[in-house]
Amino acid sequence: MSEVAQLQLIALSIVGFGIVVLLFIKSTFVRVIGFVAIVLGLFSLMSLAVPQLASLPPAEEKVDIASIKTPTDIAAIGQTVFFSKGQCALCHSIGPSESARCPDLKGIGAKLSKDFLYESLTDPQAFVYQDFRHGGVPKEYPATMPAINKDPIGLSKNEILAVIAFLQQMSGEPISVSTSELEIPGKAPSAPVKAAEAAAVAVAQAH
Amino acid sequence: MGALGKPIILMVAMYVFLKFVLPYIPGSAPLPSSLIVLYLLLTAAGIVIFQTLSGESKDAFWGPMQRFLTGENIGGMQAIRYAVLILFPLLVGWQTYGSTAASDVPPSESRTIHPAPPGEYTGLSNPVQKTPENIMQGKGFYAAFCSPCHGANFDGKGPAARGFNPPPANFADPTTIAMLQESYLFWRIKKGGVGLPIEGAPWKSAMPRWEAELPDEWIWKIILGEYDGAHQSPRTWE
Amino acid sequence: MQQGVGTIERALRAVGGHGGWLAGLLLIAGWLALPSIGLAAEGATTGPTEYRDIPYIGSRNLIWIVAQLHLLLAGFVLGVPIFAWLCEVVAWRGGEKRYDKLAKEFTKLLTSAYSTTALFGGILLFLLVAFYPKLMNYLTDIFFPSFLLYCLLFLLETATLYLYWYGWDAMQEGNKKTLHIFLGFLLNFFALFIMIVPNAWATFQSSPVVISDGTAIERAWAATWNPTWWPINIHRLIANVVLGGYICGAYAGIRYLSSRNTEEREHYDWMGYVGNFIGVFGLLALPFAGYWLMREIYQYNQQMGITLMGGFLSWLFIIQAMLIGVLFLGSNYYFWLGITYRIPGSESKYRKPMLWMLVSLLLCLAVWMTPHSLVASIEEAQKMGGAHHPLLGVLGVMSAKMTVSNLMILITFMSFVMYWRAGKQDTAGWATFGKAVMGSVLVLASIAVIVLGVWGYFVPAIVRINYFSTSQVLIVIFVILTITPLTALLLKSAKTTTEMVWGSMPPRAGYALVLNAVMVILLMTLMGYARSSSRVHWHVYGVMRDSSPYAYSPALGSASLIMAFCTFSFCMIVAFIFWVATMGDKAKAGHGAAKGELPHGIPAMAGGSPDERR
Repeated sequence: MSEVAQLQLIALSIVGFGIVVLLFIKSTFVRVIGFVAIVLGLFSLMSLAVPQLASLPPAEEKVDIASIKTPTDIAAIGQTVFFSKGQCALCHSIGPSESARCPDLKGIGAKLSKDFLYESLTDPQAFVYQDFRHGGVPKEYPATMPAINKDPIGLSKNEILAVIAFLQQMSGEPISVSTSELEIPGKAPSAPVKAAEAAAVAVAQAH
Repeated sequence: MGALGKPIILMVAMYVFLKFVLPYIPGSAPLPSSLIVLYLLLTAAGIVIFQTLSGESKDAFWGPMQRFLTGENIGGMQAIRYAVLILFPLLVGWQTYGSTAASDVPPSESRTIHPAPPGEYTGLSNPVQKTPENIMQGKGFYAAFCSPCHGANFDGKGPAARGFNPPPANFADPTTIAMLQESYLFWRIKKGGVGLPIEGAPWKSAMPRWEAELPDEWIWKIILGEYDGAHQSPRTWE
Repeated sequence: MQQGVGTIERALRAVGGHGGWLAGLLLIAGWLALPSIGLAAEGATTGPTEYRDIPYIGSRNLIWIVAQLHLLLAGFVLGVPIFAWLCEVVAWRGGEKRYDKLAKEFTKLLTSAYSTTALFGGILLFLLVAFYPKLMNYLTDIFFPSFLLYCLLFLLETATLYLYWYGWDAMQEGNKKTLHIFLGFLLNFFALFIMIVPNAWATFQSSPVVISDGTAIERAWAATWNPTWWPINIHRLIANVVLGGYICGAYAGIRYLSSRNTEEREHYDWMGYVGNFIGVFGLLALPFAGYWLMREIYQYNQQMGITLMGGFLSWLFIIQAMLIGVLFLGSNYYFWLGITYRIPGSESKYRKPMLWMLVSLLLCLAVWMTPHSLVASIEEAQKMGGAHHPLLGVLGVMSAKMTVSNLMILITFMSFVMYWRAGKQDTAGWATFGKAVMGSVLVLASIAVIVLGVWGYFVPAIVRINYFSTSQVLIVIFVILTITPLTALLLKSAKTTTEMVWGSMPPRAGYALVLNAVMVILLMTLMGYARSSSRVHWHVYGVMRDSSPYAYSPALGSASLIMAFCTFSFCMIVAFIFWVATMGDKAKAGHGAAKGELPHGIPAMAGGSPDERR
């Protein structure tokens, strides 16, 4: 007997119990219990009659540095990070969206250089336009950009580079992150990404 | 018999309508039995509710049934009563046996046509500009890779389409790509039939996994070409 | 130790190969197995323990049941004070003593119901800390300021509740009554916060926002203010009123069925009417709140929206439609029974309108329950050319469902107005004109709702969602807001031709009330499953993954048995609370000579009702 048939049998016997109670018992409270049993049993039978689907968790993907051959592979990893571990999509959208609480990242890869993006992710307050304003109506749930390489999100340098590669790809730009930049565990770290501007907070005029 | 007769006639009429009239209205098709049962159940519920709204109508409705089942001195009906009391449980048993016994009929299928895409595909937007050149290029790619099944007219009637069940999607139909976003199409083209989640029955779709053959940029261009060619526009959410 | 647990598990597996499906029924075994939590801990792994399990029933199922019961009880203890306070205010302003008596009767339940809720909350907390340390650690880290606030609120709520209940008789007159009403308001005020603070924890799990640096309070505040927080707060607030109303109705229904004298019959018949009325009143607003919540979910994350409405949970919403349909039918049925039985001689007059309402209600239900992709065998699917029916498939989409749910609300509202007006004759000079205005408002509104619904097929989704559905809702609200005062004004001058006769309802009215309450509870358990399953394999959606063996979401069928079990247990707990609270009355009544015919002292709730019921 399949599992569904077994469950149906249970539900049927609950209904049967209720019917027997209603037929043979006079006490009001017990009769109401019997009535409730019939209702609940019918509910279960109905739920068992529709298609049964369980949702299984997808396999967890482990990133293997050795499998990365091209910049597109890096961008593919960046796509996963952007929408899961990096939590970027909790606020940002790619393309216009009313519900996004933070700036739209469409075309950001074309507008900003790789190093600037890296700095914006790790030290978000380092370079802020004076009089920065959102376009349009104020956002309902504004949020402050956290430093992505620190807790609670805590992305590694490789993951941040992958996200940058993904953003460049989504802007229709050639990906400027190369595989040689990625840190391979065990090897000495490659040259650090230089900050876009001076270390001090730079203030620029903007429209 | 009036209070009991009318409901029986109504139920029969409803069944006849659902089974033999509705399917022959132009543009219609036979109803699956699950739907017929649902509508008949609603009708029955309505009858019971209406007949039990007042004391008199309730007595007129239940009275004959009650007399038939428990009353005394019903003469020739006595035999019929016993027949019903014996046959009804047998009928239930037969139904139960029929629904649980092994059979060669394939199980009912329930395939979610447009299941939820994985998170990393919900928020994408097309990085390719919507320019006439890009659309032309996309149509070119479409002609080369997609049209054998989905058809040169975007109607799902390509030369190879007849071999497939379920048939290739008809993009001219407003319930296909017009209901979806570009990112959804990107996911479907890139991951193909095997990339569907379980509720989408990945074993049923013959859509290839194009990420093995086409770069992302081409896929985005194909999407532009598809919408343009099928005279549809992508769905926008808020 | 590990060895020992393994042996137990093997033995259990040997006993029944079908352990999974028995789990729900064998909850008792689960409770008895509680001490083995310690044994089941994963000992050998390095690093902090992330999950613990309990053999046989499974940690997830146990949490599920306890959390659901806690939530239902919480809904009950938050709904009842609103209900009781409203009744008290009605008695205070209108001077009808029986409302005050009703309010007191329900407040009496609160002390025991409140402690039961807290008990289940405590059990839930211990189980969560024991089974899901990783998640609880994370949530504590973000929310601990609101944990403290929650404790403080509990102190305030308890103090107010004690004052409110124990001061009832002492504060009856003049200014003291005003103070008592204020206490009732305060009780509900604190109760509201007791609801919305934990709502923030639960909604954060399904719609998290990014937490940046800051003080603990800033972080907690940022996490509290997440996109689905207010939609859930409103939805739950209304649903609690509905739950309180229908449970009051069910209680009255059971007491009515087992009452032995005219006085009791009259009282409980009337109580059932009040409960059903408050339930329906809330029910009319509930679909709007639900729609808003669903919209926010779609806005927050389409993937979650699609999982709910079009993906693996889509069938759940067909089941939900059926339950809501039964609820609407049951409520209307009770109204209609009230007209034919309580107002003698009105049956022939109202039979026709009732038939029309019933038919339209059923048509709406048929549309609502028609799924978009149908259950069909391969043969049937081939005849239809796919899983969609070419003709009826159009009924499966959102535009149709929104339209019929609005129409159902309108019909139920009309049912109520009809009940209200039954047995009364208008005397006002403008009565004909007023009735014409009301009739045309109703007809025009229905036409407008249907037109918008049909038009909705031909416009882009965004226009339909943002403008059409919202206008439909506004039209229905407009109808309710115009017809209610007009009717009230009309009835003020009306002459009562037939007095309402209380206590003459047939037994099936009592069962209808019980059915409605069960439907509401089932709906709440069903949506509990939906909320949890819509997060799929995440503890905190998109942020913290569930890596336990229970990361999967069970299919609807096996889940339904656990839901049925939760519903049944909740009904039993509530019955117990009612029984305990009314035990004293019975004893008092038994000593008094008034009810000498009581055969024995067993309260009616316990099933000690007489055999002479006919």
